[in-house]
Amino acid sequence: MAERDPSAQFGGPFTNSTIPPPRTRIFKIIVIGDSGVGKTCLTYRFCAGKFPEKTEATIGVDFREKLVEIDGESIKIQLWDTAGQERFRKSMVQHYYRNVHAVVFIYDVTNHASFRSLPAWIEECKQHALGSEVPRILVGNKCDLQDSVQVGTDEAQHFADAHCMPLFETSAKSPNSPGTHHNSDHVEAIFMTVAHKLKSQKPLVLSQLPKGSEGTTALTGRIEGDNTAATWGSCGSC
Amino acid sequence: MEKPRRDGASSPRNGRQDGDTRRKRKTADISQALSANPVDVATLRRMAISEGGLLTDEIRCQVWPRLLNVAPHLLDQDPETVERENNKDYNQVLLDVQRSLRRFPPGMPDEQREGLQEELIDIILRVLKRNPQLHYYQGYHDIVVTFLLVVGERMATALVEKLSTHHLRDFMDPTMDNTKHILNYLMPIIERVNPEVHDFMQQAEVGTVFALSWLITWFGHVLSDFRHVVRLYDFFLACHPLMPIYFAAVIVLHREEEVLECECDMAMVHHLLSQIPQDLPYETLISRAGDLFVQFPPSELAREAAAHESMAASTFKDFELASTQQRPDSVLRRRRRQKQAALESSTVSPVGAVSQPSTARRFMRLAVMGLTVALGAAALAVVNTALEWAPKLDLFP
Ligand SMILES: Nc1nc2c(ncn2[C@@H]2O[C@H](COP(=O)(O)OP(=O)(O)O)[C@@H](O)[C@H]2O)c(=O)[nH]1
Ligand SMILES: [Mg+2]
Repeated sequence: MAERDPSAQFGGPFTNSTIPPPRTRIFKIIVIGDSGVGKTCLTYRFCAGKFPEKTEATIGVDFREKLVEIDGESIKIQLWDTAGQERFRKSMVQHYYRNVHAVVFIYDVTNHASFRSLPAWIEECKQHALGSEVPRILVGNKCDLQDSVQVGTDEAQHFADAHCMPLFETSAKSPNSPGTHHNSDHVEAIFMTVAHKLKSQKPLVLSQLPKGSEGTTALTGRIEGDNTAATWGSCGSC
Repeated sequence: MEKPRRDGASSPRNGRQDGDTRRKRKTADISQALSANPVDVATLRRMAISEGGLLTDEIRCQVWPRLLNVAPHLLDQDPETVERENNKDYNQVLLDVQRSLRRFPPGMPDEQREGLQEELIDIILRVLKRNPQLHYYQGYHDIVVTFLLVVGERMATALVEKLSTHHLRDFMDPTMDNTKHILNYLMPIIERVNPEVHDFMQQAEVGTVFALSWLITWFGHVLSDFRHVVRLYDFFLACHPLMPIYFAAVIVLHREEEVLECECDMAMVHHLLSQIPQDLPYETLISRAGDLFVQFPPSELAREAAAHESMAASTFKDFELASTQQRPDSVLRRRRRQKQAALESSTVSPVGAVSQPSTARRFMRLAVMGLTVALGAAALAVVNTALEWAPKLDLFP
């Protein structure tokens, strides 16, 4: 129970004119990476809209969700925030890999060891039958700590390309701080990118959300950028 | 009763006096048990279980070491400092301790809290260094901080060390396989009491990981009121190491209506159950957990729990077969050898029960009588079942 249930506050009323589909679709996304990279903070930021003041070690698996609207369809995004400590993985987390639609790998840009662990995380996913056929993205967190960066964008991009994943660099803490470099991504936008990908399973075509959908996530930032679609769309080697 | 300083408005005057009187009597009983020669551990155990538990941290400082049979001379040793550089656990421990702000009283000045966090790191590293067979897990720090806040650094080191080689031993294996096995006791307990809730949870395929942090932190990770945490620690320290799983089952059962109203879906049920209500009726749940333990002792559930996985032998099964002279670590080593042998010959080798020395037997009988008196259950057969755990834990003089 790291923080008060953010998922209790869903997006807000759905006042769209379109008739809601009979059943809300659920996208299940698992978030993995070393202990301390900021998985809990990022998932919290997405679901509750703010950086949590005090997080605690995640023991086992925490679950958060958010209702969003994509192209007039309301979709429930479920984020499974997992414990990073190695010993929990095999016996405990296994169960939660079932029916996962997408994977978010997180490393800490100020901790090179967390970047070097990525191949092991990718391998763990493969063992749960989550290879390159499911949408996977790579997220470098803590971009606000500009002075202590240990993993450069080039190195990370190279790795991401090799594994056919789009790369995002962000900060769960202050995505807009002056320290954050000019094209760092918004946490919302990152998860929404995954959701869009899942909805379409086609190259991304994003549209501005209609007014009146307050509380749902409006898409901003550079996700429309071609690198995302390109990486997902055309990787011959994977 | 444990809620100190009731404001009076909500409780009738004589009800309060009643409470005060009972409290005074309990305090007197505890001092008497402490000053008896030898110390009356059975009574202390009963006091720790019965309503209100050990009442104050002052009393806990005196009674907790007794419940764990920690020799007083261990408490005089100056705690050594452990090198942090190049320590394999340091990074993870630091990360978890830094994030443990919620465990400290809200009003505590930062400076004082930071001092305690340093001590917390020292205790953990010290115990791990002295016991290389133990492996740190996230959540261990939630246990240690509870002891630190109640009994201080020196005594906490001794108590946590004992606890780590006994009650927490399974959680500290290189893998969590044994922890998983203990979690497997949860569903059979629930099934015995409320098959409908059991079936619902099975259908939702919720698993048992929602109770993982409850089990391995003795609820220290999930309860925000420290008074509730220490009350539960009184209870667990006085009981069988599996008691936290009975308590977990009782919490689920307490929420049966909510559970059955929930959407029958893994995520929804996991989410519901992992958000523990903060206003639980602890005293009622404690006595209920005790009752369930006596009604459905671990030995009765062991086979079902084991059926959840391929592993044939369980830690606690082995504890039951172990002699009083053996420390759990040696039991575990033996079990590993057996498992190995079992794998090779694909049959589980039988282990002969070893007879127990009569003095140990008497002590544990007293102890469990304490338990059963507190719980209002007395059937001899049941007592005998409940007896089985005490001596193997090496907790009695
Ligand atoms: N400066 C900074 N700190 C962060 C950021 N995200 C997380 N943290 C901190 O990193 C630590 C670990 O975060 P947490 O989300 O618990 O990591 P997890 O173990 O991956 O879930 C916490 O102390 C957070 O406050 C970030 O974007 N910037
Ligand atoms: Mg976490």
